Amino acid sequence: MNLIVPLITVQNFAGIVSLIGAIVVLSVVLFLISSASSYEDKHEVKEKVYKARKRYFIGLASVAVILFFSSLQFLPYPKNQTTPADKIVTVVAMQWTWKMGEGVSTLSPHDFVGTNEITLPANKSIQFVVSSMDVNHNFAIYNSKGDLVAQTQAMPEYENQLYYTFPEPGEYAILCLEYCGMPHGFMTGKIHIN
Amino acid sequence: MLQENPAEQKRHKKLIVIWSVTFLILFPVLIALGLLMRLNQGEVFKIDPGTFYALMTLHGLGMAGVLFSFSWAALFYLIGTRYIKLNIGLGYLVYLLVLIGTVGLVIASLIGKFAAGWYLLYPLPFKGVSWTGWSTGLTIVSLIILGVAWLLGSLHVVYALAKEYGSFSNLMGWQYLGKTEPEKELPSIVLITTASLVPAILSFIVGAVFLIMNLMQHFEASLTFDPLLLKNMVFFFGHTLVNVTMYCCVAWVYVLLPEFTKRDWKVNKVVVYSWNGTFIFIMFAYFHHLYMDFVQPVSLHYAGQIASYMSSIPATVVTMFGLIVQVYHAKIKWSIIPMAFLLGMAGWAIGGFAAVVDSTMSINKILHNTLWVPAHFHTYMLLGVVLFILGFLFYLAHNNKEERDAVKPGLGFWTFVFGASGFLLMFYLGGMKSVPRRYADYTGIDIGNVHETGALLAKTAGGFVIIVLIGLLIMYGSLFSKLLKASK
Ligand code: HEM
Ligand SMILES: [Cu+2]
Repeated sequence: MNLIVPLITVQNFAGIVSLIGAIVVLSVVLFLISSASSYEDKHEVKEKVYKARKRYFIGLASVAVILFFSSLQFLPYPKNQTTPADKIVTVVAMQWTWKMGEGVSTLSPHDFVGTNEITLPANKSIQFVVSSMDVNHNFAIYNSKGDLVAQTQAMPEYENQLYYTFPEPGEYAILCLEYCGMPHGFMTGKIHIN
Repeated sequence: MLQENPAEQKRHKKLIVIWSVTFLILFPVLIALGLLMRLNQGEVFKIDPGTFYALMTLHGLGMAGVLFSFSWAALFYLIGTRYIKLNIGLGYLVYLLVLIGTVGLVIASLIGKFAAGWYLLYPLPFKGVSWTGWSTGLTIVSLIILGVAWLLGSLHVVYALAKEYGSFSNLMGWQYLGKTEPEKELPSIVLITTASLVPAILSFIVGAVFLIMNLMQHFEASLTFDPLLLKNMVFFFGHTLVNVTMYCCVAWVYVLLPEFTKRDWKVNKVVVYSWNGTFIFIMFAYFHHLYMDFVQPVSLHYAGQIASYMSSIPATVVTMFGLIVQVYHAKIKWSIIPMAFLLGMAGWAIGGFAAVVDSTMSINKILHNTLWVPAHFHTYMLLGVVLFILGFLFYLAHNNKEERDAVKPGLGFWTFVFGASGFLLMFYLGGMKSVPRRYADYTGIDIGNVHETGALLAKTAGGFVIIVLIGLLIMYGSLFSKLLKASK
């Protein structure tokens, strides 16, 4: 079990599902190419295909509805956050670094002073209050394996609330995931979890 | 129905050949920009990041612009030569404006180094350091020129069709929803063209307002706007444009494929429901671009996921199954034209499926702005739209059924498909490895082995892109001369 769980990431899920989709599509294509060498009257074909189509439609609609509702469990948006987070961290993005500090800031994003490295506890819920003092950026947290684990846009004039609980101690990185000018790829920060 | 008029047909043919040659020249050049980007990300050589992002901006705007323009032009040709009279002078005007706009974009990005990305994400155009102020203005003006061209072109086609078929509701096929069959048949290309170009017109208008706001700020820096509003506007514009490009291509597949299968592909109730649904879904799906804007009302996020999921129903249940009715046991000679159409549908389905996966809010929170995004849209562009266009071009280059049946999908075609698939796979793997999109290179990433993996995938992709270019070149060998001859 301990070996399997880390493999079921969102990334792997998306990859596997899409691969299966692609294989199904390609099989249909190969089947169609090979089928087209013989001949059948259009009306007979229509009847057969329409029967399959009806089944497909019902299947697709049910799968879509089921997936839609089950996916709602994992929404990134703060639900009516009745229990407050254990810690609040203010994050201000700027071209081309991050300003972070504990607590709610009363200063404007411009005047806020913070560092691009911060130390936080594991297994505590953290509320990041994310904004920007110039252009759009994107506050993305990567774990030590290099997997993206959470993100939200960092936008001028707005504050996005991102809740995340770091599951284990270690080094996490922050990358900017919204193109913000030439040094965009170097706009990084660090989170130490202990 | 149109009265055949040989002189008029000839003028139409000449215009579409001009469009085709323009496309065939610009397309590999824009791919070459993509190759440079991939090789830079693969650390094969080093371009300075300012130049990288200028190339990226030109590549994105250029590809999206050229593909939409060509798809529109192909519809203009097919409708103008088969269904109703269209104004060829206006066709040339659109061509001219598109050319001027494109030249403007090239100058702005290559000389002025403009590099805010295709989406000019507000307020970045005014806060860059690697480009000149005038290049921002020139980009905005060039895009306005392109927008005017597309608006004129689309309005003309829709207006001329409405005049012929009576009303907008007739163009959308509502007369098929009653108990009796309508007297006058609505060709499927007309229905699909309407369902695509009307949302396109709305998106051009929103895009124009967006651009004018930017232009105002360009001249009066104290004027600023709400960044969330402008983000919504630009994604409504861009998302719609790209989707409509695909649907325009599907419109001609509905007319041309039946010539090879000898089975008609007509409008009926289900087809009408399908394209009316698409009409709505195109316009609401764009909210999936803003899932990571947590301040956007959550109801709009839901609308985005619902519209994105729903759009898979008309696309697959009606169009894909329609395709199956076309080709299943139809005794087709698999020349390059039906083959390109069939594989194009497959590319659309595969890329579309990966898009629907990413349009799930709970998945997007991890894949947003990773290479998964270019992975899926490059799939339905390169192995969807571009294959449809190649099919159309081979159709155009040959004048009768025998010739069209005889051009086999040869080495060039399969090389292209193989190279494109490999190139795309590297994007998908990058997305699964959380490699960010729009990074000039990955050397700044100091966590896990994102940097090493990203660079390796990019370098490998570069190899596949070279294969794509070789495939194109081989196809060009016969395509170019035949196209020019066919226009005589
Ligand atoms: C073999 C052909 C192509 C190659 C090699 C290629 C390569 C690339 C690369 C390397 C990027 C940057 C990816 C990143 O974010 O790191 C990119 C972005 C993009 N490409 Fe392509 N591409 C190709 C075909 C196309 C086609 C057919 C389209 C049609 C619409 C297209 C539209 C775009 C757009 C819109 C962007 C985003 C630009 C931006 O972020 O501002 N590309 N492409
Ligand atoms: Cu940034």
